[in-house]
Amino acid sequence: MREAGIRHAVHRMAEFYSRFLSLLLALSVLILVFPVTLQIFARFTDFLPHYIWTEEMARFLLVWTIMIGAMVGLKEGIHFNVDLWPTLHGRARAALDLVSGVFVLIFAAAFFWYGIEFVDFAWFRISELAELPLWLIHLAWPLLGFSWLLFGGLKFYDDLKTLFGGEAP
Amino acid sequence: MMGGNVLAPGEAAWILFGGFFALLALRVPVAVALGMACLPVMLIEPRLGAMTLMQETFNAYNSFILLAVPFFLLTANLMNVGGITDRLVRLSRALVGHFPGGLAQINVVLSFFFAGISGSSTADAASQSKIFIEAQRREGYDDSFSVAITAVSAVLAVIIPPSILMIVWGGVLTVSIGALFLAGVIPGLLIGLVQMATVHAYAKKRGYPTYPRANLREVGFATWISLPALMTPFIIIGGKIFGWFTATESACIAVLYAGMLSLVVYREMDLKALYGALGETGRLAAVALFCVGTASAFGWLLAYYKIPEAILTGVSAWGMGKIMTGFFIAGVFLVVGCFLDAIPAIIIVGAILQPLAMEVGIHPVHFAMIGIVSLAFGLVTPPYGLCLMIACHVAGMKMGAVIKDTIIMLLPMFAVLGLVIMWPDVSLILPRLISPEFLE
Repeated sequence: MREAGIRHAVHRMAEFYSRFLSLLLALSVLILVFPVTLQIFARFTDFLPHYIWTEEMARFLLVWTIMIGAMVGLKEGIHFNVDLWPTLHGRARAALDLVSGVFVLIFAAAFFWYGIEFVDFAWFRISELAELPLWLIHLAWPLLGFSWLLFGGLKFYDDLKTLFGGEAP
Repeated sequence: MMGGNVLAPGEAAWILFGGFFALLALRVPVAVALGMACLPVMLIEPRLGAMTLMQETFNAYNSFILLAVPFFLLTANLMNVGGITDRLVRLSRALVGHFPGGLAQINVVLSFFFAGISGSSTADAASQSKIFIEAQRREGYDDSFSVAITAVSAVLAVIIPPSILMIVWGGVLTVSIGALFLAGVIPGLLIGLVQMATVHAYAKKRGYPTYPRANLREVGFATWISLPALMTPFIIIGGKIFGWFTATESACIAVLYAGMLSLVVYREMDLKALYGALGETGRLAAVALFCVGTASAFGWLLAYYKIPEAILTGVSAWGMGKIMTGFFIAGVFLVVGCFLDAIPAIIIVGAILQPLAMEVGIHPVHFAMIGIVSLAFGLVTPPYGLCLMIACHVAGMKMGAVIKDTIIMLLPMFAVLGLVIMWPDVSLILPRLISPEFLE
């Protein structure tokens, strides 16, 4: 009873978190258009200032867009895989998902652990053109690790339930 | 022991490729499988460490060229929600609806128009599956035929400019993107034509329905309302050729243009549809590009151990001529395309094969077209053919059920690939005529 309550709460939290990420993702795609547009029009007009940082800004936004999208992608299970047994379902499928899930979790843990080092490594550095603090961009790595651990962990737990409890996820 | 590394190149190659394929077989997502194959090698090698994986993925994403990917996907999604696609369907119907198998012909011709605006086959497959598969089902087409033709015609999007693959290829292997855009036009036209011929043959044999011929007025009207959309390829490709903007900027222009048509000219897009298009774009782009990061780390490790050179010395010893090498390159890309997405394949395999192509004197643009056309075919070949997977998903079918028709449709397309390999001018003539300086 208590366990089910905690599980429910964590699921709701993850749901809320992934909705938040989805909103961020849509926004970041929209924002991507602006620095590049500015860059193009500044070249052909005199009244727009010709900023040097537009390209770098666009690249850093792309980095965050990719990482946020990859986080949402794991929650929604849309990362491409090669499925040699597409017809399986129920407990057999849960067993197979557990196997691939282990590797996803190890990968997530590596991104989380070494991602923190990656942030630390960039702590006092700034970018070349826009002079942004680099750790702001590197932060996406441990965050991806954390998000994948959360989403992947929940799926892993549900698959375990399906396999041993015969419970529908 | 080489250059003070702990692992010999052979051992590293075994861990990398063995690990990657083993993980793929276990249904680990491709991006994760590539990264997980790198990790043990990086951890064993004291000079590298796991931070190399962080740094290499960062370097891959921190790229102005890859920005073109979300832009082209967004263009396609804006076209769909903004009413541009509907108008192009109407034009295609007016043009080819009266041919045998009218709706399937429209399917191919729409892919052709779509290809000139968007550079993404997956976006094409996703949007056209929704338009055509159910409609063809209602008109009595066989399901496997409908799914197969939708998926197969979607590959035109990366062969006809603009194309995400051309932009990535040009960026990674330093080839003129303008030249690649021009080089793709004739192979794309030829593939579109053989697909129409294939539909014709199917329709005759199975008695698929046809529409009444549109009169000239209808053709004229359909062309008129599609005109703003049909201008897009000229803006994008023209802008690139005349040097007004870079490849990525041209993709951004395409977004602005499609957005303007949807919001101002056709006025069919509301805020909710825009949010949907943005979210869809973010997901598809991120999932495709995340894979580029780990693929780059994988490719970087291959280069670190000089594994491509080791593979190449073996192949060079066979002493193949130009045409045989061309077929060999196509074969490698076709096989790799069965297991890997096209962008990581370019990053890993394109870099391995480039010296081989240069050695026998294949022009870099010709080499690129062989690779891109072969990889485009890989988008519909199982087990990992994204366009086929998307079309099957929309139709609610298993890939196994559509393989036969897909292969039948691929056969004439292979003939075009053969032509592209044996006759370099199919690719090179347009760039040579329009802007020879690109071929230097």
